[in-house]
Amino acid sequence: MKTIPPPCPEPDNGVKYFRSLEQLSDTPEFQDWASREFPAGASELKDETTRRHFVKIMSASFALAGLGILGAGCRRPEEKIYPFARQPEGYVHGVPQYFATSMPVRGLAVPLLVKSDDGRPTKIEGNATHPDSNGGTDTFAQASVLSLYDADRAQRFTQKGTNANREAAFDFLSGVAKQFSANQGDGLCFLMERSPSPSRARVQGLIKQKFPKARWFIYEPVDFDVQREAATLAAGKPVAPYFKPDAAKVILSLDCDFIGGEEDSHRMIRGFAKGRKISKPGDTMNRLYVVETLMSQTGMNADHRLRVATSQVIAIAAAIAAKISPLLAGLAAKFPLPAGVKPEWIAECAKDLQANPGASLVLAGYRQPLAVHLLANALNGALQNNGKTVEFQEAASSEGSLAQLAELLNGGQVDTLVVLGGNPVYNAPVDLDWAKSQRKAKTVVRLAYYEDETFAACDWHLPAAHYLESWGDARTSDGTLVPVQPLIEPLFGGLTEIEVLARIGGLDATKPHDIARETFKAIAGTDLFEEKWKKFLHDGFLAGSAAKPVEVGAGTNLAALAAATAVEAPSKDKLEVVFTRDYSVDDGRYHNNGWLQELPDPITKMTWDNAVLVSRKTAGELGLKNNQTIKINVGGRSIEAPVWVQPGLADYTLALPLGYGRERSGRIGNFKGGSVGFNAYPLRTSTAMHFASGAKVSVTGATHQFSCTQDHWSMEGRPIIREANLAQFNAHPKFAKNMDMDATANDAFIPKNPDGTPHNIYKHPYESNPALKSQTHQWGMSVDLNSCVGCSACMVACQSENNIPIVGKEQVGKGREMHWIRIDRYYTGLAELEKDKNPLVADDQQQFEKWIDDPQVVTQPMMCQHCESAPCESVCPVNATVHDEEGLNVMAYNRCVGTRYCSNNCAWKVRRFNFFDYNKRPLENLYAGPMATRKNDEWELLKLVKNPDVTVRMRGVMEKCSFCLQRIEQAKISQKVKAGASGDVEVPDGTIKTACQQACPAEAIVFGNILDKKSRVSQLKEQSRDYAVLGFLDTRPRLTYLARVRNPNPAMPDYRELPNSLDEYINKAKNMDPLVEPPKPGAANGKKKGAH
Amino acid sequence: MSAVLEKPLATTGTTPKELEREPLVLNQRSLGWISDRIAGVCENALPKWWWPAFLISFTVMSMMFICIAYLISTGVGVWGLNNPVGWAWDITNFVFWIGIGHAGTLISAVLFLLRQKWRTSINRSAEAMTLFAVACAGIFPMIHVGRIWLAWWLFPLPNANSIWPQFRSPLLWDVFAVSTYGTVSLLFWYTGLVPDLATMRDRAKTKIRKFLYGLGALGWTGSNRHWSNYEKAYLLLAGLSTPLVLSVHSIVSFDFAVSQVPGWHTTIFPPYFVAGAIFSGFGMVLTLMIPLRTLCKLEEIITVRHVSLMGKVILATGSIVGYAYGMEFFIAWYGGNPYELAAFKNRAFGPYWWSYWIMVTCNVVTPHLFWFKKIRENMVIVFIISIFVNIGMWFERFVIIVTSLHRDYLPSSWGYFSPTWVDICTFIGSFGLFCTLFLLFIRFLPAIAISEVKGVTPQADPHHNLGGAKGGAHH
Repeated sequence: MKTIPPPCPEPDNGVKYFRSLEQLSDTPEFQDWASREFPAGASELKDETTRRHFVKIMSASFALAGLGILGAGCRRPEEKIYPFARQPEGYVHGVPQYFATSMPVRGLAVPLLVKSDDGRPTKIEGNATHPDSNGGTDTFAQASVLSLYDADRAQRFTQKGTNANREAAFDFLSGVAKQFSANQGDGLCFLMERSPSPSRARVQGLIKQKFPKARWFIYEPVDFDVQREAATLAAGKPVAPYFKPDAAKVILSLDCDFIGGEEDSHRMIRGFAKGRKISKPGDTMNRLYVVETLMSQTGMNADHRLRVATSQVIAIAAAIAAKISPLLAGLAAKFPLPAGVKPEWIAECAKDLQANPGASLVLAGYRQPLAVHLLANALNGALQNNGKTVEFQEAASSEGSLAQLAELLNGGQVDTLVVLGGNPVYNAPVDLDWAKSQRKAKTVVRLAYYEDETFAACDWHLPAAHYLESWGDARTSDGTLVPVQPLIEPLFGGLTEIEVLARIGGLDATKPHDIARETFKAIAGTDLFEEKWKKFLHDGFLAGSAAKPVEVGAGTNLAALAAATAVEAPSKDKLEVVFTRDYSVDDGRYHNNGWLQELPDPITKMTWDNAVLVSRKTAGELGLKNNQTIKINVGGRSIEAPVWVQPGLADYTLALPLGYGRERSGRIGNFKGGSVGFNAYPLRTSTAMHFASGAKVSVTGATHQFSCTQDHWSMEGRPIIREANLAQFNAHPKFAKNMDMDATANDAFIPKNPDGTPHNIYKHPYESNPALKSQTHQWGMSVDLNSCVGCSACMVACQSENNIPIVGKEQVGKGREMHWIRIDRYYTGLAELEKDKNPLVADDQQQFEKWIDDPQVVTQPMMCQHCESAPCESVCPVNATVHDEEGLNVMAYNRCVGTRYCSNNCAWKVRRFNFFDYNKRPLENLYAGPMATRKNDEWELLKLVKNPDVTVRMRGVMEKCSFCLQRIEQAKISQKVKAGASGDVEVPDGTIKTACQQACPAEAIVFGNILDKKSRVSQLKEQSRDYAVLGFLDTRPRLTYLARVRNPNPAMPDYRELPNSLDEYINKAKNMDPLVEPPKPGAANGKKKGAH
Repeated sequence: MSAVLEKPLATTGTTPKELEREPLVLNQRSLGWISDRIAGVCENALPKWWWPAFLISFTVMSMMFICIAYLISTGVGVWGLNNPVGWAWDITNFVFWIGIGHAGTLISAVLFLLRQKWRTSINRSAEAMTLFAVACAGIFPMIHVGRIWLAWWLFPLPNANSIWPQFRSPLLWDVFAVSTYGTVSLLFWYTGLVPDLATMRDRAKTKIRKFLYGLGALGWTGSNRHWSNYEKAYLLLAGLSTPLVLSVHSIVSFDFAVSQVPGWHTTIFPPYFVAGAIFSGFGMVLTLMIPLRTLCKLEEIITVRHVSLMGKVILATGSIVGYAYGMEFFIAWYGGNPYELAAFKNRAFGPYWWSYWIMVTCNVVTPHLFWFKKIRENMVIVFIISIFVNIGMWFERFVIIVTSLHRDYLPSSWGYFSPTWVDICTFIGSFGLFCTLFLLFIRFLPAIAISEVKGVTPQADPHHNLGGAKGGAHH
C-alpha cells in the first residue's frame, strides 16, 4: 500500500457555516432522506418474501440466544473491559493508521511514516512527501521498531544499581538544579551524543544561561563531524557540507563509503542511483572512482576501484589534487605513491574530474584524517563543484571532546556528570580508561536505553524512551525541520533527553511536547501557530525550512594541509588495523537487535558476527586462514579475534568492525550466555581512532565458526547477473536477452511453430483456460540491477512487514535463515587470474584462490520470481502452493504439510522452511522442542511487533515472498470501495508498493500491474535490458531484472573491455556469443565481441 | 537341438543316461524331511542365537521410535536438512528400502511366470523381506513432512473443503504406488502361505498353535479343488505383481525425474531405478539368506547353486546400473545443458566426491567379481559383496538426492549437508525394525515355501523312481 497520508483535515474547532439552505440540502444523505416515505430500513420490508425472511431470521436468532443462555455458550471475560466511550477520531478498528515522525541518528534524522496497528507501531517507512526523501530508508531505521519492543531495554529507575522511585529520580534531578544554581553550574558536566534536535540546542542554550560554568562534551565512537570540521577550516566560517551526488557525473570517493557506512547513506544512495538510471542506449550515467582499503558497498559499485591502505589514501588524494589544482602541485612530493599504484590511474582520474567541472564530486571518508578532507574540499573548490554538487550550510561549532572530559574527571573537577545516551565504558578510547575515569565524578546520572556496560559506573540510571515514544524534533541533512512524535505511550516510562535536560536545568517547561512546541513556535512563527503545528505533525516536516546554502570560496587551507605528514605504508611486519563502523550493529548500539544481527553483512554475508578481515595475500604471508583465531597486538594492547579472508581488501590491513563483543547486551547480544562477535574497542586509542600502524599478529590455535548466508562467491560463468559496459550497451542494447540459453541467436535446437515462435508442448494454463486469468490485474515486478547497491534495507523491511522470525546463528550456519528476500553477492575475478579457477572447489577453499584479489562485485535482490508455470506448484502433493488469477504464486500456509518438495524444485531457492517453531521457542533452546518456551516478558513484547495483516507461520510450514499480498488486497479493497457502482476497480499504478520497494532508497524495485501498459513496471519490462534469471526454464517469471551497466573510463589503465563476469561467461559458454544481435535481414551476423 | 541329438542316438542304438539338472534340494532328501526341516525352524527349541539377535534388533528399533518421537515433538530441524538440501537421508532411506523390496516381487512373481524353479527356496523369505522393507520405507516419507499430523492430506479423502490432493505431484503418485505395492505384495505372500500354514496347523502340538495356524490356513484341506483355486489365484497375483516391479520404482524415480533439478531431471531414471532396485534387492536377499541357511541348517534347501544364481542376477543388474552411470554422464555432456553438466561434474569431483566414488566402487566394480564361479560359490565373499551392494545402493540414492540439491542453479544458494545424530540413529533404527520383523517371521512362519519346494524336487513327480510316496516318506 502506498502510504501517503490523506490531506490535512480542516481544523475541527470552529463554527461550520453553510452558505445557503440549498447547499445544506444538497448532501446525498438529505436527498435520500427526503425521497423516502418511511425511515431507512422500514421500507425494505415491503416485499412479502423479505418480511417472511426477516421473521425467520429473528426467530432463529431468538432460539439461538435462548440456547446460549441455557447452555454454556456465553463466555464472558471475568476481568472488566471498557469499550471506547467515545471512539478516537479517525480510528477504525483493524485499519492501520500512519503517523509522520522521524528517527534521530547522530546529527541527522530520517523522515519517517510509521504504521500503527491498534495503537502499536509495527512498521517503519520513509516519508516520501518530505522534500528530501523518496520514502527510502536504511536498515537501521527499518529495524528500529524491533528495538522498541526489546525485552532487555532499561525498564526501571535505579540508584546505585537498586530500584528507585520515578519521583525520587525527579526529585534528585531538581536537586541537581538547585545545587548548581548557587555556583553557576561549576562542576556540572554533560556528556552527550550528537543530536539533530533544535529543541535540545535550545534547552542547552537556556541551561547555559543559567549555569554558564557547566561544561558540555560530545562523544560519538563513529563520528562524521570531521566533514564539518574540514569544511569550516576550508571556508573560514562555520559551515557543514551537504553533498548532492545526483548532480554529479563523476564521483571520486577517497575511502568514503557514502552509499553504505557513512552518514545519511540512504539519501546518498538515492542521489547516486539517480545518476545510474538509464533507459535506452545513448543515455548517460555517472562514473564512480573509489580509492579505498576495505571492500565497502561503495567499492562494490565502483566503476574503477583502487585498493590502498587507509594511511596511504592521502597520497592518492594529494597526487590527484596536484594534477587538478596548481596550488596543491607541491603537495604530492610529500606523499610518495604506494607501491603498485599506476600513475596513469591518477592522471586519467584527474583528467576525468577536470572534464566535468561543476558536475564532479570528491568525497572523503570519516576514517580519513582531516588533511584528506581538506584536500577533498580543495578539489571540490578547484573543480567548481561548490554550490553545485556540494552545498554548504551554516553549522554550529562542536562541544568538547571525551578526552577533555577525561582530563577534568581525572583532575577531580567534576562534581556531577550527566551522561545522556551513549555507552562510553564500552566504546570510549581505551587509553582514557573510561570505567575508572567516570567514577571520579562525585555523582553520575545517566539516561540510557539499556542497562549496559556503563550502567555499573552510574549512580542514577534513568530509562530512555524510544524515539517512537518521544516528543521532540530534529533536522534532516538538508536542514528541514521534522517532528519526532510518539506513536505509543512509553512502554516502560522512559524519559527523553530534553526532559532530563530541562529538569536538570530547572526549567519551567519539562514536558518534551511543550518544549518541542515552544521550539517550533520560535522557528515557524506565532501567527496561525496551531494550524502550522498541526500540519507539521501531520506532514512530518515544516515546508520551506531547509537550510539556506552559504556561499563559500574555493577554500584551500594550505596552512592546515602543510601540517599533514606521510605515514609509512604497512608491511608484513607492520600491519595496519582499521576500525570500521559495522553495517549491522553500527558502533554497537544495535547489538541487541535480532533483525540486524541476522541481517547478512552486505559484503561478507556474515551474520551474528564480526571478523578480522584480511586480504588473501596478507593471510597467505602470515599463514592465516578462515576461522582461525588470532591475537592482534598494537601498541602494547592486544585482542583475540577470528579471521576471515575478504576479497578485494588492501594488503597488510586488518579490518576490525566495531560494535560487537558486548559484555552486557541482552538476550540477542549475549546469545547463549556468550557475546556475539569480538570487541575491537580495546585496541582503539584517542590518538588513533580510525586506523593504527605497527600491528603484529600471532595464531592462537583456537578456531571460531562463522555463519554466512552465502558460501559460494563466484557465479561460475552463469548468466545470472548480466552486465555490460556502457559502450557495449549502446552498441548492443539487447545484450541481456542474448545471453539467454535459448536466445534468438542460439535457439536452433528449439522446436518452432509455423510462425516461428517457440513451440511449447504444454499449453500455458492461462491460455488453455482464459477464465483463470484476471483481466484487471496481473502483477509483476522489475528490479533494476543498475540501481541496486546492495544496502539490504529491503531485507529488514520484508522481515518487519511479513513477520519473518530470526533463527539464531547456529541455524543460519546450517542454512536455515528465513529471509524472504535476500541480496545475492557475487565476486568475479580478472580473466587472467580465473584461468586456474576450479568451479568444483569446496567453499572453504575459495579463500586461497588468486582470482579473488581484485574482484568486481555484483549484487542482486532475489526473492520469489512468481513464475507463471511455477515448478513449485506442480510438485506440491496437497495443493498448498497454487496460482491465483492475478498471476501470483500463493502459499496456503494452513494447507502446507511440509514436504519441502517445492523448495527442492525451485531453481532460485527462494522458499524458506520453518524447521523449528522459531516464533514460539527461545532461539537458544530450539532443540528442546516443547520443553522450552520463551520467557513471558519477551513473548508479550514479541507479539506487539507483529504485523496483524500477515499470518505467523508455525513449524513445518514452507513460506516465501508473496509480493506483499496483504498490501495488494488492502489496495484492491479500498479501490473497490472508492469505485462503488462505477466498476473502476483497477488499482491505479503506484498505489501498491511492496515492503521492499517502499524501503529501497535507490528505487531499484518496481511493482505493478503488467496488464496496464502504461504502468511503470510495464515500461521497465519493455526496456531492452530486461531479462529473466534462468528464463530458459520457461517458467515465465513475473519478476524480471534490468541488466547492469557499468561505466568504466576507456582511458584508465584498469579499463576492461568487458565486465569480468561477462568475460567469464563468454569464456565458459564457448559456443555462445552473448553480444551478438539477433540476426537482422541484410545485416552481417558476425562476431562483434568488443568491436567498438 | 533335438535334431542334432536324434541322429547319433539312432545310429549307435544305445540310450545315454539323461543329464539331470543339478537338484534344487541336495542329497535327494525325502519330502517328509523337507517338511520336518523347514517347519522345524518354527517348532524346535529356540536356537541360542535367536534371543540375542532379537534383543539387539528390538533395542535398535526402539531407538528409531525414540528418534521419531523427538522429531515429531521438536521439528524436522533435528535432522541436518537445510535450504538447498530439502531432502537428504529421509528420502535416501525411503528409496533405499523400497529398492530392497523389489527382489521379493521379482523372485516371487517374475521368476514364477518365467518358470524359474530355483525361486522356490528363497521366494517366501524374499517376499517377507519385501514387506518389511516396504514397512521401513513407508515410515520415512511419512515422518519427513513438517507437520506429520496432517500427512493424511496426501490421501484423496473427501472433505468439507473439497480440497483434493494435487494429482500432478509425483509425491502423490508415490502414495498410490507404494500402497498398491505393499497391498499386492502382502496378498501374494499370504496366498502362498496358505498351504504351508495348513501344514503347520496339522503339525501343531498345542491347541493355541493349532488354532492360530488354523486361522491363517483358511480351512485348507489340500483337496484338488483347493489346489486348483490356489494355483489360479497365485498365477493371477503373479501377473498382477509383475507390472508393479516396474511401476513402483519407476514412480519413485519420477520424484526426481519430473522435477527440474539438474541431476534429477533425467529420462533414464525409470529403467535405471528399476535395475538398481533389483540389484539392491538381491543384495539384501543374499545378505539375509547366507546367514539364514547356516544358522537354520537349511544348506540343502538353499544351496550354493541358489546363491550362485543370485550372484548372476547381481552381476547383470549391476552392469545395467554401471551403464546407467556412464550414460548419465554422456547425456550430461551431449545434451549441452551447462547446468546439468556442472551437476554431474560436481557429483564426481565436487565436495561430495567421496560418496560418488564409494557408490561406483560398490555398485560397478565389486559385482564384476561375480564373473568368477569360485567367488560366486564362496559364501563368505558373496556375503561381503552383498554388503557392498547394500552400501553402494544406499550411496547411489544419497548421491542422486544430496549432491544434486546442494549445488543447483544459483551458486548463491549452494550449501552443504551434514547429518545429525538423529539422522543416523533413525536410519540405523530402521534396520532394527527390519531385523525384528524378520526374526519374528522366521520364528513363527515357515521361512521357505514347503509345498513349493516339494513341488520342484524330482520325487514330486509320481513317475520318478523316488516319486510319490515311494521311499517310505511320510508327510
